[in-house]
Amino acid sequence: MPPPITRRDILRTMGSGFGLLSMAGTAAHGGSSLDPKPTHFPARAKHVIYLFLNGGPSQVDTFDPKPMLTRYHGKAAPSGNLKTERKTGNLLKSPFEFKRGGQSGLEISEIFPGLVRHSDDLCVIRSMYTALPNHEPSLFMLNCGHILPGHPSMGSWLTYGLGTLNRNLPGFVVLCPGLPVIGPQLWTSSYLPGVYQGVHIRNQETDPEKLIPNLRNTGLSDADQRAQLDLVAQLNRRQLDRTGPDPQLEAGIASMEIAYRMQTEAMDAFDIRREPQAVRDRYGDSDFQRGCLMARRLVERGVRMVQVYYGNGQPWDNHDDIMIHRKLGNEVDKSITALLDDLKATGLFNETIVIIGGEFGRTPSVEVSGLVNVQNGRDHNNHGFSVAVAGGGFKGGLAYGATDDFGFKAVENRVHPHDLHATVLHQLGLDHTRLTYRYSGRDFRLTDVEGNVVKPLLS
Amino acid sequence: MSDAQPLRKLVCVFAASALWAAPMARAADPAEFFEMRVRPVLAKNCLPCHTASKMGGLDMSSREALLSGGKSGPAILPGNPDASLLHQAVTHTHARLKMPPTGKLTETEVADIAAWIKDGAVWPAKAQPAGGQQWWAFQPVRRPELPRVRNQAGVRTGIDRFIAAKYEEKDLKPAPQASRQTLLRRVTLDLTGLPPTPAELDGFLRDRSPQAYERVVDRLLSSRHYGERWGRYWLDLARYSDDKLNSTQDEPYPNAHRYRDWVIDALNNDMPYDVFVKAQIAGDLLPEKDRLAAGTGFYSLSPEFQDDRVDATTRGFLALTVACARCHDHKFDPIPTRDYYSLQGVFASSEKDELPLAPGDRVKAWKEHKERIEKAEEEIKEFLKSQATALAEVLAARTSDYLLERETETLDQEILERWRAFVKLKHDYPFLKPWQDAVARQAPRAELEKIAAEIQEQAVAVQTERKKIEETNLIRLGGSKKRGDLAAADLLSLERDKYFFWRQLYGENKIDDNLDSGVLYLKEKKLERFLAGPFGAHLGRLRASLETLKKTLPEQYPFLHTMKDSAKPHNVKIQIRGNRETLGDEAPRQFLTSLSGGAPKPFAQGSGRLELAEAIANPANPLTARVMVNRVWLGHFGTGLVRTPSNFGRLGEQPSHPELLDYLAGRLMDQGWSLKKLHREIVLSAVYQLSSAPREDNMRADAANRHLWRANRRRLDFEALRDSLLAAGGSLDATAGGKPVPLTAADNHRRTVYGFVSRRRLDNNFLLFDFPNPNATSEYREVTDTALQRLYFLNSTLVEAQSKALAKRLENAAPENPARIREAYRILFGREPGKTEVEIGTGFLAASRNAWPRYTQALMASNEFLFID
Repeated sequence: MPPPITRRDILRTMGSGFGLLSMAGTAAHGGSSLDPKPTHFPARAKHVIYLFLNGGPSQVDTFDPKPMLTRYHGKAAPSGNLKTERKTGNLLKSPFEFKRGGQSGLEISEIFPGLVRHSDDLCVIRSMYTALPNHEPSLFMLNCGHILPGHPSMGSWLTYGLGTLNRNLPGFVVLCPGLPVIGPQLWTSSYLPGVYQGVHIRNQETDPEKLIPNLRNTGLSDADQRAQLDLVAQLNRRQLDRTGPDPQLEAGIASMEIAYRMQTEAMDAFDIRREPQAVRDRYGDSDFQRGCLMARRLVERGVRMVQVYYGNGQPWDNHDDIMIHRKLGNEVDKSITALLDDLKATGLFNETIVIIGGEFGRTPSVEVSGLVNVQNGRDHNNHGFSVAVAGGGFKGGLAYGATDDFGFKAVENRVHPHDLHATVLHQLGLDHTRLTYRYSGRDFRLTDVEGNVVKPLLS
Repeated sequence: MSDAQPLRKLVCVFAASALWAAPMARAADPAEFFEMRVRPVLAKNCLPCHTASKMGGLDMSSREALLSGGKSGPAILPGNPDASLLHQAVTHTHARLKMPPTGKLTETEVADIAAWIKDGAVWPAKAQPAGGQQWWAFQPVRRPELPRVRNQAGVRTGIDRFIAAKYEEKDLKPAPQASRQTLLRRVTLDLTGLPPTPAELDGFLRDRSPQAYERVVDRLLSSRHYGERWGRYWLDLARYSDDKLNSTQDEPYPNAHRYRDWVIDALNNDMPYDVFVKAQIAGDLLPEKDRLAAGTGFYSLSPEFQDDRVDATTRGFLALTVACARCHDHKFDPIPTRDYYSLQGVFASSEKDELPLAPGDRVKAWKEHKERIEKAEEEIKEFLKSQATALAEVLAARTSDYLLERETETLDQEILERWRAFVKLKHDYPFLKPWQDAVARQAPRAELEKIAAEIQEQAVAVQTERKKIEETNLIRLGGSKKRGDLAAADLLSLERDKYFFWRQLYGENKIDDNLDSGVLYLKEKKLERFLAGPFGAHLGRLRASLETLKKTLPEQYPFLHTMKDSAKPHNVKIQIRGNRETLGDEAPRQFLTSLSGGAPKPFAQGSGRLELAEAIANPANPLTARVMVNRVWLGHFGTGLVRTPSNFGRLGEQPSHPELLDYLAGRLMDQGWSLKKLHREIVLSAVYQLSSAPREDNMRADAANRHLWRANRRRLDFEALRDSLLAAGGSLDATAGGKPVPLTAADNHRRTVYGFVSRRRLDNNFLLFDFPNPNATSEYREVTDTALQRLYFLNSTLVEAQSKALAKRLENAAPENPARIREAYRILFGREPGKTEVEIGTGFLAASRNAWPRYTQALMASNEFLFID
């Protein structure tokens, strides 16, 4: 891989300028870039892979075993049910067994057999909570740090804060075959410059040409396109000679060269067909499973953050029948395990934060509302849920925080999404209180005016 | 901004307060103790309601204020915590006062407050910034004298006097005047979003009269394309969208474009800006309702999931961030929390409405017709469901025959096939397992018969049980299944295994690729085979009647998205710290305190929207005209005189040329709020006509060009870029107005302002080139330069098609390459090529065959095309 061309390279090769370029202001609000930027303090991790199980996975069926729930199955919760979106009834035990794995003996549901094997790599936060039991505000909170639309996503913030390690690829990639609920608002750069927007790849395709708009020129040979670009470069340089130095024009010249190389590099990075069949088999061939493999390839090539949505809409939203969690769980377990295995094999595990979780959890009580056909499922639950994190300096084999006896509400060492965001940024070398952007006269942050780094999660 | 520093530091203290997990030894210095331990607690928990809002009459912003106290008396008695109301309230030892309302403070916080009171309640004086009301933006618009400038060269208009005065003050030398070609391209793109045509270029270059440029400006301002360009910028503020941010599916607003077109027409007709503002806030309440009500689309097309109307109103028209005061008094501007809820009450007393653009009987007829269709559809659905269920029950009674394939001549072949497919499936409930096991081990016939009989019994029983549950549930729901009730209803269901058994026999939903519904539940054609005689005839009649109804449904009448006052306008209560569970005093519907010249008068008419509109579009309002002048300036120079165009408050920036801003605001109001006159005055100024050439000496003093000693080179925004590409290819469809067209539609060659704007799925091309997010009001366009954007020039179908179209156009325009190259430069860059440029072109074209489209594409991909110089 050739090193990325920097603005300085371009200027050096052109030998132009008054020596004042560093002072030259651009018009209006330009001047943003994907160049790597210094961190606030030494970083522990460089990348994030956010595996988003959209719909709301149930904590008591995945990462938060509750013996009391089993004991009181079919009975009313002694302290009553918390208010959630819909009417719920008596307690409903998990149909799944929990298994202990690794040295730590961390308990994880049998629907994740591979993760049980990875117990010592997982940092399970069992005390997450958000404000509202509805998908939209909770999706916004987990992704953008606010319950309302119109704020930049975490991926945009950290690309803004860190730049990317490979300018021939986008810094923040979002994989979803169609759209999760709410859609592009979840990876928007909003008031941050558009360069930090998540690039949404509809990964039901495997051919990179179909994945990325304008990636391939169908009409020109490579030689013809190179000749054409040489002409563009020649015209641009002549213009620059005429106008005198202008960082905007110079950035444009650099972008054009990067675009040219991106045609080749992205074709490679996004093409999972280049993986050996044995590797593809380990991950599996569903959209999410291929997404995990693509995420690995992208991170290996320097992409800062990859977010893989489980699927369109909200597949984990099992109001009716919690048994569906088994099928979903087995599917994601296969590829997450393969991903963790590969990251560990290459050493990338230490510098990649893998987050596994949804927008909220589910009630330990059974849903009895008129919107379900069968009463074997669970309603949304914002009061308590689990998120698992692996790699990037998070402490493995740890269960942090706790919900109450039945798994309804986070009661011990509560962790808000702001805290999770602050901690993730911290591992990336960013102080969440200093990662600000001035917009409309105010400094905005991913964590608003809240958030604490949760030190006990870190090794 | 240096005077705001202490306050900003304070905010950091607020934010950091949560970090004090470890107890801190009592500081020796009482002032430090207060700053570190007490002020953050007060700021976070008390000040939101007890500064400008003075809940309970108590202001807690200073020691003096605490001493004078509120309705219940002094809040502190220094030296005696137990006797201090503040302490009693936070310890919940007072009979009535238990604070804060959102939940008790931690023990440490309470102890700190006690210690602080005991030590004498030391509250160090801070250098306070000048009172909020003194801020420049709240001062009346002045009509400043034109400054005297020593060097009159290059001064053309009043604007230039203000600009030149700054040059002299800062010792800056203005760049030379831009060339005529550069100027023509600049002003044409600025005012219309389209490049000048070669004919316009020739016309301008030929016209040597001193009025040549003025004539161009007047031509452009009277072009319809002016409104299309500048209307779009207004739509950025109005967060315009052609659909809703529906969380699960696309949901277009089929009539939203009528607001978009109203905005464009209003600008083209030079509707006075004060009327334009009033129409958008309260057009439905104005005498000229027919012409102006469409403006209220500003609110009726508001984003979903939030009420941002106060925010869009105050930032959009007034550049004030009143929404910051939702949870606490504004920390920097004189905006108490009450003001937010005063305005919120105005909008809470208003509703979305639709104003049909058709006679009442047509509207009524359409609605009735539509209802009949829905009823007929429902009737057919119900009929089919009841027939399918009845048939399923009949078939269930022969379950064992189908399982055993007994008396096959009396069995229905299709149903038999369904059973065969069904028993092969893996089921995650136990009912069919005995059968599957018995078949697998080839059990004797008698055993199979016994099992089949049991399954039949269960199949019948599960339907009986299900029906009973449904009846009970219907009673629990009071006989009606309205969706709103369902979420909260406490209902019964079959137990899980039975439910799935039931669903796979009797349910409507797909089971498997071979079974599009439950085994016994037949749909459509499959069911109709069984509907003989009067049943079939009945279905036929229902369907025919529905068909006729559908065919005769006329197109829906057009309507405007508008607003109306609610039947019962009401005030809302202040939500303490923005929490809807803890309500405070009622906030009367009225205008902002700081803009009312004293205590605001409560609104008296309906919701108060009309009075709000009058208050905003009022010449005495110091903000409205200034804010709009600044937006227009921004559009022409790439940066505003105030660089935070939607925030003129203390956290915004101060104007670079305050007197010029006032001069132009005054001119706007004095000239009948005419925006076209404002544009004209700006583009006729000398400063607008400067070249963008840098000067080393100026760069040292003002590299950011804050004082406009040269023109800013600006990247085309997406609309101007796409429209210019289409214009260059000769493909632009200049049709005005009407329904939005997706940008991805193959033959969409209309101006980009007519492209479909989606809140849910904004077109990739918009995203690529920094189009603003239609979910929130947007004050300016971000400008980025990315490799993905350049890929658009290399490989997008649009650029490819337009480069070919331009090549074709040139082929027809001239016989020889040099002449064609010349024409290409005139079309794309608005200038003649130099000799070397022609040589470079001919060289490229000679190097390979069919190189013309590659050449035109290269020109389109060059910086010169992408930037306004």
